Amino acid sequence: MLAVGTLLHAKQMSRSPFEVVLALVVPVVQATLAVYLFRSGGEQHRLLEAAVGAGVMGVWSSVLFGSGGAIQNQRWQGTLEMIMLAPRRPVLVILPITVATGLTGIYALLATLVWGHFLYGIRLDFAHPVAFVVAAAVCVVALGLFGLLLAATFVLMRNANALANTLEYPVWLVSGMLVPITVLPSWTSPIAAVLPTTWGARALREATSGGPVWPSVAVCLAISLLCLTVGALALTHVERRARAAATLALA
Amino acid sequence: MGSTYAIEANDLRRTYRARTGWLKPKRTEVEAVRGVSFTVGRGELFGLLGPNGAGKTTTIKLLNTLLIPTSGTARVCGHDVERETRAVRRRIGYVFGGDRGLYDRLSGLDNLRYFAELYGVPPREQKRRIAELLDLVGLAGRERERVEGYSRGMRQRLHIARGLLHAPDVLFLDEPSIGVDPVAARELRRTVADLAAAGTTVLLTTHYMAEADELCDRIAVIADGTIQALGTPSELRRRADGRRVVEVEAYGVPESAVSALRDLPGVRETAVEARGALQLLTVHSDAHVDVQGDVLRELAGIRLGRVDSREPTLEDAYVAIVSAAA
Amino acid sequence: MKTLRLMTVGGVIAYRALFNWTTPGMFIGTLLVGPLFQLLFFAYLGRQLQVADDRFYIVGNAVLTASLACVFGGTMAVANERRFGTLGHVLLSARSRTAIFWGRVLPYAGNGLLIAVVTLTVGALLLGLRVPVRAVPGLLLAMAAGSLTCGFFGLTLGALGLRFRDVWVVSNVSVALLLLLTGVNVPASGLPGWMRAVGEWLPITHAAEAARRIAAGDGLAAAASPLGQELLVGAGYAAAAVVLLKIFEVESRRRASLDAL
Ligand SMILES: Nc1ncnc2c1ncn2[C@@H]1O[C@H](COP(=O)(O)OP(=O)(O)OP(=O)(O)O)[C@@H](O)[C@H]1O
Ligand SMILES: [Mg+2]
Repeated sequence: MLAVGTLLHAKQMSRSPFEVVLALVVPVVQATLAVYLFRSGGEQHRLLEAAVGAGVMGVWSSVLFGSGGAIQNQRWQGTLEMIMLAPRRPVLVILPITVATGLTGIYALLATLVWGHFLYGIRLDFAHPVAFVVAAAVCVVALGLFGLLLAATFVLMRNANALANTLEYPVWLVSGMLVPITVLPSWTSPIAAVLPTTWGARALREATSGGPVWPSVAVCLAISLLCLTVGALALTHVERRARAAATLALA
Repeated sequence: MGSTYAIEANDLRRTYRARTGWLKPKRTEVEAVRGVSFTVGRGELFGLLGPNGAGKTTTIKLLNTLLIPTSGTARVCGHDVERETRAVRRRIGYVFGGDRGLYDRLSGLDNLRYFAELYGVPPREQKRRIAELLDLVGLAGRERERVEGYSRGMRQRLHIARGLLHAPDVLFLDEPSIGVDPVAARELRRTVADLAAAGTTVLLTTHYMAEADELCDRIAVIADGTIQALGTPSELRRRADGRRVVEVEAYGVPESAVSALRDLPGVRETAVEARGALQLLTVHSDAHVDVQGDVLRELAGIRLGRVDSREPTLEDAYVAIVSAAA
Repeated sequence: MKTLRLMTVGGVIAYRALFNWTTPGMFIGTLLVGPLFQLLFFAYLGRQLQVADDRFYIVGNAVLTASLACVFGGTMAVANERRFGTLGHVLLSARSRTAIFWGRVLPYAGNGLLIAVVTLTVGALLLGLRVPVRAVPGLLLAMAAGSLTCGFFGLTLGALGLRFRDVWVVSNVSVALLLLLTGVNVPASGLPGWMRAVGEWLPITHAAEAARRIAAGDGLAAAASPLGQELLVGAGYAAAAVVLLKIFEVESRRRASLDAL
């Protein structure tokens, strides 16, 4: 059920030329931006790290706009009501959507690295290649599960896009995807500590340039499982609220 | 302004080219209008009738400058619709049925304000004109609500108000009564009649025969992109002269029985219309042949309701014209 | 006089009719908070990489934040007509297309200016950047020029939207490209020649340059040349938009290509 749902949603997304083109072009732009920024800063040796960071940013955007957009589109097409009507738990219905967005996000990560390699000659020598793959997988799943929590909010909100547009940069910034969290004001660190994106990005960075990968991976997994439980509970609650507040159908 | 006619259409043709398929593009051509000519006098109320896809909307769009004819010419108030677009647009109003074509997020009032601006209503007159029209279409009091919350009929009335904003000389009404309730439709007909009486030329399309019969000075029946008949309602009705119509209410008529009816001597046309559980059979025949007995004999064993034999109406004439064209 | 009224009154009504982001939540989230974090993100990144100083990032990004509202707004100003099925009725107007559509850009430009001012003020306060008071009028001018140019750029994209269904892709990609090519985040000297050349023809590039000079206390005279260039680029897009709209209108009458009911 979960796998079928995920596949279907990934397919649905790949049918829309809009999303495909965005997914094709935006990573290139972001990789380019990161590369030139790091080059200008004289940080040639950290280009790989920059590309990975830009890639994770892409995963986050994909999950954020994917979940927000998917829910909004379903609302516009009038299918959100049908989905919520399905005799299944709401989690099982929504989770495939958000995991599918995570999967398309993987593509953003890969594309950033591949383009970085071919266009800018970044050498793909990871400190821990195996750990990198594992960390990437965990990161994507974790973001997908985090997306579930977001989706719970999106289902309830008429303007899911507003939240999505608002949350892109703050999460990039606070979870230290390109900017180390140490240079940020100290009040942001508790927020960073609870975001799965922080730990996922950290694990990937450690796998790239050396460091203890596994603790970060473990924390990331733990937080995302928490997200799943809370998200599932929230969705059940939200479903009732949405029925009471009549926000499912109206765009 | 030397022209005596408000609208002159001269052998208008319009072909749509559409591409279907993406990998294997196939070009399809639809000849929507194939040589339509007619004239409408000033202050005349002219009706265009015809089945779905006959080319009525296309004809109207050719006349109101939204489309360029593939060939042929047309003039509105003496101005060529292909080249003198500004002059034409200043003089025409366009109303079409359906619930699109309005800014949903704005109130009805703001919709009218915006189009008043676009259609060149002088700023000093806008307020008075809009209030007048809101009254006319019965939306006064609701004008400050957003259009997204309007019912279908309310949108339709707003469409009409917009079409009248700049007091056009020529008004194109494309199925204006779609989705309007019977009482409002009657008011709408009165409004249209009043406009025509006050000198506005109206070109109206509709699927309601009674509406056309009541309103129009002359009617053109268009099918397959050509005019099949043109005349006053009573002239058209005479097209069905020499006919008689038998109507039978029946329950569960098999297709075979219907075709058997068609083969009866003296029968010209048959039509079946489903009305809930019952079906309404209409049989046109030559007036001098009494087919009622034969019809009932063919339908033996089928449960029947009311049986009626009557003089033809405009609708019958329309059916006769259109089915002759098919 | 009448044309002026069409541009202003008409423009404002059209803004309310066609702009998707006018609800308070959307406005604050998408147009104020989002751009503010964008500025903070790049400012911190710049600090950490020591590419350029705070002023470079804060002022440049503040000018850039106007682009979101202007580019998307300009696109919506034309492309959303499709969504409501109103284009036919607008085209039936006997009045100047140029006035109708240029008028629509003005509210978006104003909106962009507001965003730029807010992000600059908040960003400067948060990061402790001091802007000399006498630089304020000049900064406003530069940001206004940038917003207006962006609005016309968006209108050009919107015009393309009449012909090509997926303009939103183009708008999205354009907004991402502006981040890269305008030299707001990567100093122009760090970009390859062809990217710099493209940037010259994009909105914001020159306005950001002008704003930086003014914020540095160089005075208006020093910024006159980039300001002029920005306005020139804007005029180019304004002309392009009108020409495209004209072409597509003529084409639509011939090929019935707009579902201009
Ligand atoms: N934009 C278009 N592209 C291709 N074909 C079109 C287009 N618009 C109309 N047609 C075709 O032209 C023909 C005439 O259409 P038109 O809309 O004029 O009919 P109509 O008489 O108004 O019908 P209805 O009573 O249903 O409104 C139809 O076959 C239709 O499919
Ligand atoms: Mg029609």
